[in-house]
Amino acid sequence: MSAESKNVSGQAYSLTVMAPISPGRSSELAAHLDDLGSGDDSPLAKVPSTHFARWVVLDALIYEGGRQRHDSWSGPRLLFTSNFDGPLDAYLEGLRTGLGAAGDAIWEHCTDYPGHRDAGAFNRWMRARQLTSSLFFAAYGDQTVQQVLDNLRVRQWLTELALKGQALDDAELQDRFLREYPR
Amino acid sequence: MGNVDGRATAITVLTPVWPGATLWLKLLFFLGRHLEFTLEKLVTLSFIHYARWTIVTRFPDGGRGERLRYSYLFFESNFNGTWEEYIDAFSEVVPWRMRAIWFTSFGFPGPLPVGPFKDYIRKNEFVANHYWSAYPDAATTEVLSAARLATAAAGLRATAEAMTPQEFRAAYDRMLTSVQHDL
Repeated sequence: MSAESKNVSGQAYSLTVMAPISPGRSSELAAHLDDLGSGDDSPLAKVPSTHFARWVVLDALIYEGGRQRHDSWSGPRLLFTSNFDGPLDAYLEGLRTGLGAAGDAIWEHCTDYPGHRDAGAFNRWMRARQLTSSLFFAAYGDQTVQQVLDNLRVRQWLTELALKGQALDDAELQDRFLREYPR
Repeated sequence: MGNVDGRATAITVLTPVWPGATLWLKLLFFLGRHLEFTLEKLVTLSFIHYARWTIVTRFPDGGRGERLRYSYLFFESNFNGTWEEYIDAFSEVVPWRMRAIWFTSFGFPGPLPVGPFKDYIRKNEFVANHYWSAYPDAATTEVLSAARLATAAAGLRATAEAMTPQEFRAAYDRMLTSVQHDL
């Protein structure tokens, strides 16, 4: 099994990017991420084919005590993970263009970030900081975001029709089904 | 900031691994990728959208990566419901699988009793600075049932125009009966 295939379940892809944050900038970055809008106002809403995604500032390694010795690293990391409709290169391009300047405002806090204007450099920067999943679970890895949204719309419509349908005669029911079918 | 978007909740955990235990984890995740039954129990948990484990032997830095004293186990999950419910279910439904994975991490108290286990997760968890879902109000079970409903509705839609109203009513009732648990 190739490293790339470990990131995949069905058509779903698990992306894990961990980038060193420039010295002294992790608090500022965390505050910026904390202030991003939610829902449709999130910059991630503009990135096609994303099911779930997150940014997390990993500010310090955990020390459990006991027999564990203190570990140290060169500095905090910015974690970005996404569960999306593959393949990776198409997604990274959607990430680059969808986030645009909003992506720069985040990753510019990280070392050597090239900005979003150079597609090749952006792709290489992401890939050079990518971790391969060891085990990826997707409950519905065969479904794209668009399919999930379409199916949920059909479900809501059919549930409403099932309630109203009892009061309709056969011809009205057929007419409404054909007219209102969501896709 | 936070681990919640609508009904979706994020969990992000990074734990230091005992020296030498990465070999066991690699074997375990190899089996997980190749033996379906290892992930089947996660399907029965039915509220996990996506989850992943990653063994981090080198922290990405754009080059060969930074090697620390220990390797780390990264885990993320995207689920519907509360954090408490999630940890409860994990520890009760898949305790042996959890033990097999996390006994490799320093300080892991075991999945049961659940109190110390929750304390352990809290200590090793990073709160997301930004979390986003494309369908934040849909539970995993709703996504799966919507797919079954949409398939059934599409089947009826394909033949509905050629039916008499009476035939349509009969076919519609059969379709609803077949998917009544998904409405």
